Amino acid sequence: MSVLPLDAADEVATEPVPAAERPARAAVLKRPGAVLGVAWLVFLVVASFTAPLWRPYDIDAQDLAHRLEGPSAAHWLGTDPNGRDILSRIFSAGTEPLLVSTLTVLVAFGIGIPLALMAAQRGRRSEQVTSRLTEIVMALPSTILLLAVIGVVGVKIYLVMTVLGVMISAVVYRIMLGVAQSVRQRLYVDAARVNGLGSLAVNVRHVLPGMATVIAVQAAQLFGIALLIQSGLAFLGFGPGEPEPSWGLMIQTASQHIYDAPWLMVPTGLVLAVTVVAVNELADALAGKATAEKVVPKRRTRLVSSSTWPAADPDAVLEVRELSIAVDDGPQLVTGVDFALRPGRVLGLVGESGCGKTMTARSLLGLLPDGVSVSAGSIRWQGRELVELAQQLKGIRGREIAMISQEPMVALDPMFTIAFQLTQPIRRFRGVGRAQAKTIAADLLRSVGIVDAERVLKSYPHQLSGGMAQRVCIALALTGEPKLLIADEPTTALDVTVQAEILSLLRALVRDTGLSVIIVSHDLGVVADICDDVVVMYAGEVVESGSAAAVLDEAAHPYTMALLGANPHVPEGVPVPLRLASIPGTVPPPGSWPSGCRFATRCQFAQPQCHEPFAVLPAHDGGLVRCVRVDELAHDHVTWDADDTADTVETRHALGERQVASTAPARSETSSPTPPTAGVSS
Amino acid sequence: MTATSAPAATAPADTTAPVLEVRDLVVRYGSGRRGRSAPPAVDGVSFDIWPGETLGVVGESGSGKSTIGKAVLGLHPPAGGTVKLHGRDITSLSLKQRSRLVADLRVVFQDPYSSLNPARTIGQTLVEPLRLLGLKGAEAWAKARAGLESVGLPGDAVDRYPTQFSGGQRQRIAIARALVCDPKVVVLDEPVSALDLSTQAQVLNLLADLRDQRGLAFMFIAHDLGVVRFLAQRSVVLYRGQVMETGPVEAVSSHSRHPYTAALTAAAPVPRPAEQALRRVAREALGIGSAGSAQPTAGGCPFAPRCPLATDVCVDERPALRPVDGKSVACHHAERVPQLLDRLTVPHP
Amino acid sequence: MFAFLSRRLALAVLTVLAAVLISFLLVHATPGSPGAIKAGASGTAAQIAQYNHELGWDLPLWRQFVDYLADLLRLDFGTSLIDSKDIGADLAARLPVTASIAIFATLLSGVVGIVLGVTAAVRGGRLGRLITSSSGIALSLPAFWVGILLVYVLSLQLGWLPATGYTPFGDDPLGWLTSLALPVLTLTVGGAAIIARTAGAGMREALRQEHIRTLRAVGTPEWRILYVHALRYASVPVVSVLGIQFIALFGGSVIIENLFALPGLGQASQAASSSHDLPALVGVVVIATIVVVATNLLLEVVVAALDPKVRTS
Repeated sequence: MSVLPLDAADEVATEPVPAAERPARAAVLKRPGAVLGVAWLVFLVVASFTAPLWRPYDIDAQDLAHRLEGPSAAHWLGTDPNGRDILSRIFSAGTEPLLVSTLTVLVAFGIGIPLALMAAQRGRRSEQVTSRLTEIVMALPSTILLLAVIGVVGVKIYLVMTVLGVMISAVVYRIMLGVAQSVRQRLYVDAARVNGLGSLAVNVRHVLPGMATVIAVQAAQLFGIALLIQSGLAFLGFGPGEPEPSWGLMIQTASQHIYDAPWLMVPTGLVLAVTVVAVNELADALAGKATAEKVVPKRRTRLVSSSTWPAADPDAVLEVRELSIAVDDGPQLVTGVDFALRPGRVLGLVGESGCGKTMTARSLLGLLPDGVSVSAGSIRWQGRELVELAQQLKGIRGREIAMISQEPMVALDPMFTIAFQLTQPIRRFRGVGRAQAKTIAADLLRSVGIVDAERVLKSYPHQLSGGMAQRVCIALALTGEPKLLIADEPTTALDVTVQAEILSLLRALVRDTGLSVIIVSHDLGVVADICDDVVVMYAGEVVESGSAAAVLDEAAHPYTMALLGANPHVPEGVPVPLRLASIPGTVPPPGSWPSGCRFATRCQFAQPQCHEPFAVLPAHDGGLVRCVRVDELAHDHVTWDADDTADTVETRHALGERQVASTAPARSETSSPTPPTAGVSS
Repeated sequence: MTATSAPAATAPADTTAPVLEVRDLVVRYGSGRRGRSAPPAVDGVSFDIWPGETLGVVGESGSGKSTIGKAVLGLHPPAGGTVKLHGRDITSLSLKQRSRLVADLRVVFQDPYSSLNPARTIGQTLVEPLRLLGLKGAEAWAKARAGLESVGLPGDAVDRYPTQFSGGQRQRIAIARALVCDPKVVVLDEPVSALDLSTQAQVLNLLADLRDQRGLAFMFIAHDLGVVRFLAQRSVVLYRGQVMETGPVEAVSSHSRHPYTAALTAAAPVPRPAEQALRRVAREALGIGSAGSAQPTAGGCPFAPRCPLATDVCVDERPALRPVDGKSVACHHAERVPQLLDRLTVPHP
Repeated sequence: MFAFLSRRLALAVLTVLAAVLISFLLVHATPGSPGAIKAGASGTAAQIAQYNHELGWDLPLWRQFVDYLADLLRLDFGTSLIDSKDIGADLAARLPVTASIAIFATLLSGVVGIVLGVTAAVRGGRLGRLITSSSGIALSLPAFWVGILLVYVLSLQLGWLPATGYTPFGDDPLGWLTSLALPVLTLTVGGAAIIARTAGAGMREALRQEHIRTLRAVGTPEWRILYVHALRYASVPVVSVLGIQFIALFGGSVIIENLFALPGLGQASQAASSSHDLPALVGVVVIATIVVVATNLLLEVVVAALDPKVRTS
């Protein structure tokens, strides 16, 4: 049995399951429309195929005394111009459209999917040949060509719909090629190929299952299209001849009696329309499109009354007090965060993913994701309260507080030139004309270290490298001459030499303009490079804060110690450790934080008192530490132990067992993948 | 000139021959005229990996490091050069031919989310390569369980699906999949760069343990020299598809003789504010050009436009790898690099 | 750009050739012969052979194909087997009818669909859900049924519009407009629904993009974010779907022309199909293919102009 820990679950808790893998059944059942749709389709199939057994009248039983009548006890859906029972005829007519539409879908998929799989597997050359061919087929006018086929071969509906299937297969190919190519990008396909799995098996086992959702959605949509085309052809008279009933012809008849018997168009039209609506509703549900966006009531924020907090730091420009952020009607994401920022200082928010650092940073500008809001606490910016003052925030965004984000390549609008994106805010913030705004934009770009500013101004974002794009983002953030810059993992997506350039640039800006910066990072090296102060977060709360030098050099909290020990970076000439420190277990996801110390279950130094609530202690001359044993640990000069001692192995082992046990019921219930949180949030 | 020509780059004497030999590898992307005119993604790279040894292949984005991995695995056909496993040329073998001949080469990819098929149980994923090697049902499943336990996961995880595991756990499963067939060489393509720090440390420790227990050879592809220093004995530093410097990892990172390696080392921050402040000053004094600066000339040194030591010869002539101070270095001015590094040297407490 | 256009043009020509070839082969795969159709039920074997000879039916297949292509280049589509009229002239008279329906319906679908879709995405809430679900229903309704319903309401009950028939523009411009109104409205119901869905999804996707957050972070006014940045982002898929709509309306107008008794291309193809008028069938297929191919070309140019990534690569 294993002795190593089961590790972090935080990514699992936050990472949404990709839409393609979501169990389709659950998605369908969640939508009332789709449930009704499936029910109708089942009813229609059963009723149509069993029609000869139950229909009240024969399809050509004429009742000339009751022609063109509305619904009655004898004829529930009325009668047609020959006095034939509509109910009997509608359901007797149902088998053919259902069968030929299925045939069309099968033909289209039978050709389109294998072609797409082959094209995705082979190189570009053969893919291009197939793609050009299908482009030609797609450009053929399908309805008119179908009529031409009928003109030549006559009304042989199965043959005609097969031809339609062949033409649609080009569309299927185009859609499936894209999907197959993107599934083949997934690394598990490469892994299977490296294992030596044959190409047929790779396609069947690994590529096709990844396409299942799209195939199901497309099948439903195509089925609906085929239904409409089949009944359209019948409407034009290219369906089964009289007295055989067909939906299209029944509607054609209705159109001729619109003056004397308008009722006639209702039953058949409704059955056809409801069937297509049902099929499309099913397709939407399979695609996981949400029609019902939850309306979330805005939660009122509980402000910490200012009397509780006598201005602790009179020099601070920004004071965050008791800040809590929560999913509306859901778990808390961040609780009781306190920190203050002085002008011209750089503050780092650090922690692993899922610790709430990005949420904290975004709340400062009111840019939390939909459905997440500040639930309590106070954010004071230069004496003004930002929480609950959305209107005031608009004047502050860009002008006083600006932000740059993690992915510079997607942070700029791909449709507009850099010049457009920079001059718009410059004109708004500085009230200058177009020409002057352009001059200012070029100056700004030079100030962030872009040499050929004129060329960059003319460029579109996709023409820039990542480092260049991040410089442009910084320039954009500076257009309103803000006093505070919030940088959310500004260098994580960049190469290390580019990261160094950006860090140097930020430092120069702080030095030259007196800008304050809050930088969110998971990298303690970045923090050491640029930050004056640091706030370490774990599971939604601050565990340690203080000056960067104090926190990193004399870490008081075991979590900070462990993070430092896990970092493999040491200066040149210093020997690399043989083993790195690691933390057993997982960051508990929001909503399942333990009481007392949230880190206690993973801590090497945890003792019973750690599981009781305790007070935050002051530390690092103005900072704080959230550990009840901090004085003992400091006294004993302990460090986070990188080796697996017997004691810690014991803890880890127990933890591993508990996690496995907690997942066992979920596994036995169903063989399909269970939601990720069920397995890991022990 | 190859990477192994430098004396110090040769492996310990107790092993007889390298398990993996790569010679003058060239890989191009794109086809047709445009593909041929663009500079190759990998441009004449050579290296050896000896039994039980970890070779770190380091470079930034666009350096071609992952492309080399793909070419070695047979996932992308090389345009030139050879790849030999146990002395046998496997360069142009199809993946299917490889599976019969070379069960000794396996891979762990970077992204733990897309490297496991969400529609298949962990057991199915692990058993698949064993079946291909001819193992029967019960035996294969027993091996899959043992494989999971060897990476610190419970054996009964075979019945679960990938969505039930965290990123670090999935990466363990991916490692187990690579190791169930008892390969001799494993290509690790950025196996820890998608993981959080504490998880990254766990996986790095695990990889080190497994290597030591089983005598595995790793081709460890990474962008982070710090991680490479932890796991690798030797390293190859790449820039724009070419080898800049290669040799024992400590010699390369601490006593580099190439300006690019120096830049890379200087740019990696250490989590100690006082030291990092000095390093930052030194880094800024190095005078490395911005990554967005001019494109290098086709016939010259790829790093010349950013290099503080560059002269006319660097623009005109591509430097060959040559032995310098126990490493192989592709730099006309390798002897002047120590002057650069003097700016970087920080007194250690 | 030039290389791109010339490659596209070559493909367009190839597509038209393929359409001619397919319909040509289709015609020759028929069990009967054009002579038999022209001669009718009472024709003798000698008469049929005579007609077939006049039409060149007894020549080798490739020769007939080359001849037909040569005629096509001179815009000669041959004569109808049924009434011996010039097919080219007939189709030329019908093209404007179908084209005006398709163009009006596309434009109206575009305007209505974009307004609805953007409203659904921007306003959200109850109105957004209403628009999303009702457009889901509208795009599923068979056009011929919608047409009947509209005739019943707008023309029989309210008497606002003529139920069927076509007034040429030259005779009475206002009458022309009212005669097109019902067919165009009918096609707009489904068309606008599809555009509304595309535009709504496009806007929602646009508003989820990271660069929208960047814009918010520099305090960009909300109207600018919605109607300059997000709408521009959503415009590419909307324009593509509009193009596909136009093609679908053009080819799918058969049913509408039948329902509203409009003398368009669709009606011609239905008639030719019922009467096995083979040269007329080939003519309709060729004309329709040319329209599709031309629309596709135009569409690619417009998308390239809209999307800087396509334009600059």
